[in-house]
Amino acid sequence: MTANEHELDQTILNAVNAGLILLDRNKRIARWNGWMQAASGYSQQQVQGKMLSEVFPAANLGRLLTAVTAALTANAATILTHALNSAILPLRTRSDRTLLHDVTVMPVGDEQITGCLVSITDVTMVTKRERFLRDRQNARYDAVVASAPDVIITVDEGGLIQFANPAAVTQFGFGKSELMGIDAAQLFETKGDWNAAWSDAIHKSAPVQLRTLVGRRKNGDLTHLEASASSWKTGSRVFATIILRDVNERRAIDSALRNSEAQARDAAAALSELNRTLEQRVKAGTAQLLEAEEALRQSQKMEAIGQLTGGIAHDFNNLLQGITGSLDLVKKRATQGRFSEIERFITGAMASANRAASLTHRLLAFSRRQPLAPRPVEVNPLLASMEDLLRRTLGEQIALEFVTAGGLWLTRCDANQLENAVLNLAINARDAMPEGGRLTIETANTHLDSAYTSRQRDIEPGQYVCISVTDTGSGMSADTISKAFEPFFTTKPLGRGTGLGLSMIYGFAKQSGGNAKIYSELGKGTSVKLYLPRHRGELETEDFNPALEDSQIAHANETVLVVEDEFVVRDLIVEVLQELAYRTLEAEDGPAALKVLQSSQRIDLVITDIGLPLLNGRQVIEAARQSRPDLRVLFMTGYAENAAIAEGFLEPGMSMITKPFAMEALATKIRQMLESDPTPKPPDGRVKPRADAPD
Amino acid sequence: MAADPVLLTEMELDALTELVNLGVSNAATSLRDLVREEVVLSVPRVIVVTREQALANLNERVAKRLVAVRQDFEGDIRGRALLIFPEAKSMELVRGIIGSDLAAEDIMELEQEALAETGNIMLNSCLGTIADNFERSLRISLPEVIYGEGDEFFGTKSGGKPDDRVIFMYINFAIRHRDIQGYIAMLLDLPSLATLKSLLVALIERTAGSPIIAPPHDS
Repeated sequence: MTANEHELDQTILNAVNAGLILLDRNKRIARWNGWMQAASGYSQQQVQGKMLSEVFPAANLGRLLTAVTAALTANAATILTHALNSAILPLRTRSDRTLLHDVTVMPVGDEQITGCLVSITDVTMVTKRERFLRDRQNARYDAVVASAPDVIITVDEGGLIQFANPAAVTQFGFGKSELMGIDAAQLFETKGDWNAAWSDAIHKSAPVQLRTLVGRRKNGDLTHLEASASSWKTGSRVFATIILRDVNERRAIDSALRNSEAQARDAAAALSELNRTLEQRVKAGTAQLLEAEEALRQSQKMEAIGQLTGGIAHDFNNLLQGITGSLDLVKKRATQGRFSEIERFITGAMASANRAASLTHRLLAFSRRQPLAPRPVEVNPLLASMEDLLRRTLGEQIALEFVTAGGLWLTRCDANQLENAVLNLAINARDAMPEGGRLTIETANTHLDSAYTSRQRDIEPGQYVCISVTDTGSGMSADTISKAFEPFFTTKPLGRGTGLGLSMIYGFAKQSGGNAKIYSELGKGTSVKLYLPRHRGELETEDFNPALEDSQIAHANETVLVVEDEFVVRDLIVEVLQELAYRTLEAEDGPAALKVLQSSQRIDLVITDIGLPLLNGRQVIEAARQSRPDLRVLFMTGYAENAAIAEGFLEPGMSMITKPFAMEALATKIRQMLESDPTPKPPDGRVKPRADAPD
Repeated sequence: MAADPVLLTEMELDALTELVNLGVSNAATSLRDLVREEVVLSVPRVIVVTREQALANLNERVAKRLVAVRQDFEGDIRGRALLIFPEAKSMELVRGIIGSDLAAEDIMELEQEALAETGNIMLNSCLGTIADNFERSLRISLPEVIYGEGDEFFGTKSGGKPDDRVIFMYINFAIRHRDIQGYIAMLLDLPSLATLKSLLVALIERTAGSPIIAPPHDS
């Protein structure tokens, strides 16, 4: 190459608007054009013959030198771009700005490689223009997207994320670099819906309907997102940009709102229902309460009646016996023309009938459903009228005693309730005395002073009628006494009592303006005192206590002992026996009968009631047979069930007859028994009536 | 293929596969230096097919729309080398090289240059390694990035003859947790393929005087 040629070349090289560096086979700088001088600040003369690393000692020239080696040894051309290599060479623009550049390294030489050419292209303006254009185009978009509260992601045709805004990072919890390039379906639980959303946008280019997707965050939490998608094209590529709105809060609020609305509706409905029914419910509740109270009162009565049933049957049978027996004799006397004796039996029959009527009356009064009707009450006659009822209730093992005060004041209360109270106290007393005992009912006028009433609740000092019911039973402990007036407290076995007796009595006393008190000692007995306020006024009284005359006793050869506490019945039997020429002996209770039987008195037959006070008929006979083993005994009973079980204890020489019976039947039975051998019991056919037997 | 005038033997294909693997291995080292990330490149298999077969292969196995980096070479062997990816995957390749968190627009802005440089590194490395082992010189052009369909890369429109052969290599690209599958294709005319075969035979004989792979059983 001539000097002129060299100069021409240099002139041309300097005119090229690109950096040109020609390296020789030893990688030393052979040429360096004007562009390079301007960009590096070094002249051709300064760099001539130097290695690149000597010119740019601070630069990282690794890749450039590799490319130079490849060109010189492998004849390969290499490109180094600003995209992958920042500042390949430390070059500056004329105004001392960073000069962005691409570098190509080409081998030089036709047959033999004589060197390589490094050419540098300034891309500063191009890059800046591109960035400026893109920034200008995208500035608004970027501002919106970067600050958008919604997740905005762009996916390519493969569904890979090509863009994700800061909200996406926040929403899913993945870093931006973790999101970029991944298959976005990884972020969703509802992958099918997600894939439909973005692929519809890309392939159908139709507006994509809102879909609610369920995403999964990096920490595993689920998140609800509403997606809208649209597609855009650049060159041959299509992308979908999907906007995902966080609807978790809205869902929560909707859900809470729905719940609270439902609750509010329910509450409003309940309130209006309550308002609507409140009055009705109060009425119904009150009515229910009243009904319950009434039912309890009634059940008390029913319990008492249940207790009475056996006794009442006995009582009625006795009374009927008195009536039918008396009428029987009236008929006989009339036939015989002995009219003067008729009146006595008519009187007896009347008395029995009256007592039966009285008993019925009392029972009805007691069992009737009556409201509380306070009225002036004379306590002594009321108690007297209950005597029969009480005796039957207590049974024959318990002696009943009335100690009534003379000049007893009137009180004001519901008479039926008072009867109920006394009867319940008597039942309690009876249950406390299973082996028998004594029940005393006392009445007294009492003055409660302020010293007494101050210790009691709800009672005024003043004058009271006191009714005390005292038994000789098992008594109560202090603890039992303290609870005795509580509802449903009972010491009775399950099924035997409601536990309401004493509480009802207490309630009755309080309602009547009085009080009830229990005095008791274990093993000695119990006394319940009812205090009812004195009433100053008038009242009518009824008297249900007619008396009967004593009968006369006739004499006969054979001696029959009649043991019967019901004297009308006893009298009738005795009368019949006297007619039949028997000699008769009478006893009104067990001990009296036993006394006669244990004497040396001739007794051919004992006719005895089974139910007797103090000692019952069976006990009497059992004792009597010790000394009179062959004693013939005819038991009488008003209890049908006694007759049914009689076969169990009837020994030879014993028989049973059920009340009420005809006098004729009794006479027949007696003749049968007296004419039979004591053992064994004779058959009916051998029995012959006595010659003096009546017709 | 029975009528194929130039047929590489199994051993020659193995030798070529090894050379290409050497080349991509060098390329992986260069890329690792460039992106400062682990880069793994592997070429499990090399096949020689006709252009039609290469096209069919691409259309069948790869997406229709492709992007390729093309570099021509000339010397004892002449032809063109192509690094091919599905267009949809090319963005991922670029993202793998440039960095993860750039938006699609930024990637696209840099895509051409990045692809060109990446393809350049790989193809230079492969061709250079092959030429170096053949002790021959190949003049290798600067890279060009082409978007298009398969026939634009192998078609006669872009030069070449109907009976050209394609050395087709499947390549697996692993970078920044991404696995990207692409292809390296070398389009050669028949004389070049014959030269390649003879160079491979020479290489096999030269290497320690014996085949680099275990000898055939019938030898």
